[in-house]
Amino acid sequence: MSNFKLQYLDTVGFNADQGGRGFHLPTAMAIREDGRIFVASRSNTAALNIVGIQVVDKDHGFFGQIGSYGHNPGEMMGPTALALDANNNLYLADDVLQRITVYDPEGELISTWGTEGDGIGEFNAPSGIVFDDDNLMYVVDHRNHRVQKFTKDGHFLAQWGSFGDGEGEFNLPWGIAIGPDGSICVADWRNDRVQRFSTQGEFLAQYGSAGNGDGELNRPAGLAIDADGNIFIADWGNQRVQVFDREGKFITKLRGQATLSKWSEEYFNAQADEKRSRDTFEPYFEVDTEDVNEISARIEPYFWDPVAMALDSDERAFVLETCRHRFQIYQKHSNTLQN
Amino acid sequence: MTLTKPRQDTALIAHLLRRASFGATPDELDDAVSRGYEATLDSLLNSTGDNDLPYDLIRRYHVDQSDLRNQPAAAAYWMYHLVQTQAPLREKMCLFWHRVFATAATKLIQGRVVLNQIDMFRRYGMGSFRELLLQLSRDPAMLMWLDNQDNHKRSINENYGREILELFAMGVGNYTEDDIKECARAFTGWTVENPDYMSIKMRNNTARPYGYISWQFKYDEDDHDHAEKTLLGESGDLNGEDALDIICRQEATAKFIARHLYHFFVADEPPVPQWPHTPPNDAEAIDTIVEAYFQSGYSIKEMLRAMFTSDFFKSETNRYARIKSPAEMVVGTLRLAGGMSVPSNEAYDAAATSANMGQALLNPPSVEGWQGGTEWINTGAYVQRVNFVSAVLNAPDRPGIKAIIQRIRTAAAHNYLSPAELVDLCLDILGPMEILETTREGIIEYAAGYGDISFGDELSSSHAEHAILSVLRLVVTTQEYQMV
Repeated sequence: MSNFKLQYLDTVGFNADQGGRGFHLPTAMAIREDGRIFVASRSNTAALNIVGIQVVDKDHGFFGQIGSYGHNPGEMMGPTALALDANNNLYLADDVLQRITVYDPEGELISTWGTEGDGIGEFNAPSGIVFDDDNLMYVVDHRNHRVQKFTKDGHFLAQWGSFGDGEGEFNLPWGIAIGPDGSICVADWRNDRVQRFSTQGEFLAQYGSAGNGDGELNRPAGLAIDADGNIFIADWGNQRVQVFDREGKFITKLRGQATLSKWSEEYFNAQADEKRSRDTFEPYFEVDTEDVNEISARIEPYFWDPVAMALDSDERAFVLETCRHRFQIYQKHSNTLQN
Repeated sequence: MTLTKPRQDTALIAHLLRRASFGATPDELDDAVSRGYEATLDSLLNSTGDNDLPYDLIRRYHVDQSDLRNQPAAAAYWMYHLVQTQAPLREKMCLFWHRVFATAATKLIQGRVVLNQIDMFRRYGMGSFRELLLQLSRDPAMLMWLDNQDNHKRSINENYGREILELFAMGVGNYTEDDIKECARAFTGWTVENPDYMSIKMRNNTARPYGYISWQFKYDEDDHDHAEKTLLGESGDLNGEDALDIICRQEATAKFIARHLYHFFVADEPPVPQWPHTPPNDAEAIDTIVEAYFQSGYSIKEMLRAMFTSDFFKSETNRYARIKSPAEMVVGTLRLAGGMSVPSNEAYDAAATSANMGQALLNPPSVEGWQGGTEWINTGAYVQRVNFVSAVLNAPDRPGIKAIIQRIRTAAAHNYLSPAELVDLCLDILGPMEILETTREGIIEYAAGYGDISFGDELSSSHAEHAILSVLRLVVTTQEYQMV
């Protein structure tokens, strides 16, 4: 039996609505094998300078930004998903511009493709991307309730799914991840479940049902799958992360326990009055509401709109939170116990 | 134009729906007429409209309406509610209380806490006034807005104590300066969690490091003044709740709230600062509402019922007698056009339009709220109104506009409609509206440019559709359409 545990390590992030180091209302994340972490900030109309892909690492390094707000090639207006191919090219999905944009490892634009529509190869809100071992690409086509399969250059290969709540049907699917066995899991967002498919789109299994109990889901968003096949789910509507095993059985859940990032500490060191009052701050208190979104708005360490999940090669789990402009890092421990 | 008896009934129910709702589509009006005035009023008073909105979709597409920090996003979020709600009177009461208990995001910086206050109005705004005042006194946005986190046992801050007496419940002239101090003492210790850090984040206008933290009420027993106090002639170790009991027992409180309701729902009164010196326009009407307040144990719903069933409300002299507020104009027009799709950027545009017309939701200009009345209309605001309404109605694919065109097509049957018949039909559908005869003649002259219209074939139907949209756009520019 396995002794699965997630241990809190650190928080990276800072509200950068005024520009500079940090994120603003981020929605997507991808981790490269060398440890570079890409975070896409969607932001709002009052803070368009930060719309782009921020490049950071887990040790609070900040390496600049790829792309900016706009509709020209290389620019973005509604970033929703990031993924890396086998050559470390970076793929961005945009649900306003209805297209995929590809950047090389230096962040230079390679290509952009996709148009709005519901025909073959067209998009209505692309919202999740993943690559398989053959460097083929799967895009969650959110408002068309389907998954489309492409070559990495955007040549259409296959599609599956249609609107509904039956096996293999979707209601506004969002995140996507590929397991060690090559099967593909899709967060079927408005059906409150995760579905598993073969790379040919054959339905294999489904996990979860609507609710907030263990193993239940409320609008699951981002997904990641570890080397053991465990599925990490950003349980967005429940403001938590859940981990299911490869059979879809509940293993554990997290509510979040963020601490001040290095960027935040540096900020307070330069703001004497805020630092003094921050020292009296008690982040955890008994709340007088049952509204889980409002609870997340009140208790700063908790996840607030956990949207994307990623895992690195050292079995660290990264949870990106839209409304707190940061990601929390957890170390996976999974010792095999001998009976 | 003289209305026939059935149309008189329709006109009365349309009046109710303009005031207690945001107007009605022709189908909604037909439905209300078939149910009758009392039943329509009952459903307005009792609708809760649960599950009006797909919050998940809104939060997923508009991420700034998930954290709800900046005011345009928060105002857009409320605009979704206003336009889509199935409980329009409840939402209108939110606008009403937002005007009386005006709290602005400009000082508080975050829109979320002001929206939380609006949501509190949604839950308590038609219940007991005493309970509403209690919720208001515990409302974190209100506490921070009026600095009650600085109201301490050993050093009082009078802001909340003053405003609850002056602006929220009683009005100037019904209490003394000592009452203000004693009232403030009763609310010592009513604060928010982490008051120091929340205050400095607000003062420095910073959402760093991790965005805003939504505020929560906290009662700090150690900071509450337990010594004897005397408020409005009653003495004891008064806490905030005791103060509210005393305030709610006052005749002045009943009159003050009654006059506000009359001002908002029946006919414009002078600006609130003039109330201590100027008697109400209709003292008997105020007495009727006051009686309902005391007979029902301070029930706001029963005050509304007494008002909406009264002769003074139904009187023809009070119809089209108030100038539409920007929010009423924007929301009413969008509802007439069939609502908004969710999600869409139209919610932001609608909120911005209301702000440009002079009513920025969640951002009233001061603690006295908006005065309303003739202040809503100036040349710039009038142009904004006309442009917005014309743009919304010039969309034949909107479901509400389609329904209007279909209604005119049905009325025409297989016959031609003269310009006068077309104009009268449009006026009937948009109201029924009664406009100055000279204005009506002007619009008919304009409609004559299209000649008689019919729906015989595709070409003539298309021509008729153009004529209808043109007449509608002209009708909404009239002075009468600015009135409610």
